[in-house]
Amino acid sequence: MDETWWLRGALGLYAATAAGVRAPRLAGAALTAAVALHTAALASRWAAHGHGPFTTMHEILSSSLWSLALVVCLAWWAVRALRPALVVVVPVWLLLAAWLLLADNGRGHLPPTYATPLLYLHTVVGKLFLGLLLVAVALGAVPLLRRWPRAAAWFHAAPADRVLDELAHRFAAFAFVAETLMLIVGAVWAQDAWGRYWAWDPLESWAFATWVALAWVLHARGTLRPTPVRHGLWLAGVFVLAFLTFFGVPFLSTTPHQGAV
Amino acid sequence: MSQRPATPRHGLLWHTGSPRTTLALLALLGGLVLLRPGGWPLALPLALPLAALVVNLLAALLRHPAFRRQVPLLVAHLALLALVVGVALGRLLALDGHFELTQGLPFDGQLIDRQAGALHVDRLQQLAFRHDGFEIDYAPGRKRGATRNPVTWVDEDGQPRTAVIGDHRPLVLQGHRITTSPNKGFAPLLRWQPTVGTPVRGAVHLPSFPVHELRQSREWQLPDGRSAWVLLQTDETLIDPARASRFALPAQHRLVVRVDDQRAELAPGEALVLPGGTLVYEGLRTWMGYRVAYDPTLPWLLAAALLSALALGVHYLRKFWSGRPATVAAPAARTVGVVDG
Repeated sequence: MDETWWLRGALGLYAATAAGVRAPRLAGAALTAAVALHTAALASRWAAHGHGPFTTMHEILSSSLWSLALVVCLAWWAVRALRPALVVVVPVWLLLAAWLLLADNGRGHLPPTYATPLLYLHTVVGKLFLGLLLVAVALGAVPLLRRWPRAAAWFHAAPADRVLDELAHRFAAFAFVAETLMLIVGAVWAQDAWGRYWAWDPLESWAFATWVALAWVLHARGTLRPTPVRHGLWLAGVFVLAFLTFFGVPFLSTTPHQGAV
Repeated sequence: MSQRPATPRHGLLWHTGSPRTTLALLALLGGLVLLRPGGWPLALPLALPLAALVVNLLAALLRHPAFRRQVPLLVAHLALLALVVGVALGRLLALDGHFELTQGLPFDGQLIDRQAGALHVDRLQQLAFRHDGFEIDYAPGRKRGATRNPVTWVDEDGQPRTAVIGDHRPLVLQGHRITTSPNKGFAPLLRWQPTVGTPVRGAVHLPSFPVHELRQSREWQLPDGRSAWVLLQTDETLIDPARASRFALPAQHRLVVRVDDQRAELAPGEALVLPGGTLVYEGLRTWMGYRVAYDPTLPWLLAAALLSALALGVHYLRKFWSGRPATVAAPAARTVGVVDG
């Protein structure tokens, strides 16, 4: 079976995770099955094309959706408090899935500078960063969303705001470590590929700004003592910045460093 | 009787080392990077908030004993401080430049463009290496693949050395990292044999190929001031866009040479007799464009950056897995904002 069938099955199951609003166990099972099918889709494409999902927008969106889902899935099983918050990440998945369906799924060309283990390291820590940050955003969004009367019932099983806030902070902290490693590995790679470790091209500038923004949130939480709602909003802001860095800048940048791996 | 605080709450140190100052400086730093007023180069505008953050950190170390007691967090911040200082020092010592090198000829230390720090000591003349041609794979559609560029040099012990560089595999000579670039092309070798005097040889680097495939011509200055216009002429499709291919010299070609009103189509070894001398076409070679970068701080920057990330990871592991469940680790339990990171 080729990539398309696995992927269609996975996308359907991602949509089914929205059932988490009323049936958390069903949502967890759907998410786990979606990640499994999506893994098969990526493996199938990798085998057919001879390289990983690093080149076309289809591959980048597919691998990003998979990695976000994988991190959320692992966190869903490990952190019980995340289970009611799963519904928060569904819009992000649906956005990526819709974009993925519109993207050309033709064959891409692996640039010569991608023939290095640094590609895999840079990609893994980058995707880990975005996944951990998404989990932090999901946890941090509940204190705000549960104030909306129509959504309050969705989160009746969620812990108290302070607990969610602390958990969101923990995920954000490890997202920051992963992002730091992503920048370090990227700089080492750029030094060998282009003869400079940092050149403030659009992608590097946005990635650095995201790092500074997350550093600001981590410092500000201890200094300004925000309410859980405000902290959640800050984390959402950082996620928007990170999302634009990963998926927006490659459309604006004309430099060889377009990123989004 | 109340005890006086070690640091006055309104003193200079209090404000300089304040976590709120950190927040303000981080916001300034991020804003400058994203907004980049007037499209300025970022190095100088960023120097101010980065230097202020260094001062802020040093003052925070003096102001907050709790900060000093959290060793992994302290190490992470000190490593960041070392990184900033190392980057500044590296820029003062660094060299960045480009050059082109003809196949088989030694590098003479001359750069096409260069950007050197104020404290850089130029040692390019000592980097006598040569390249022995190259192979570049192309996928259908002329999508550039791997570059394999064999190079030869003599090491510090006088031993001849060879390596194959290209793409992300640089040649490292005396701390200089020499990287191939996408610019490369053909280089006709010419010899001007004057009727009286010493012969002069030269290589004409034709425009980069295949980007400028349709204008493979350039002028070469003869010693007497006249210019020789040369054009590479071949009927071969050197890199077929319809299939996988490889950069190669043409099997059959002619070099069109025009000097004043004289014109000739020369095969390798043929010559054009001109008033005052003879222009000999010796043959066709390749040229490769390189980027050279020198920064002795690179290993230290990497060590500092990795140490910072590692120490931060250890700090968070110790903080979050110290047996405290999330339920009791609310912000109200903290004493000093900056130490939480």
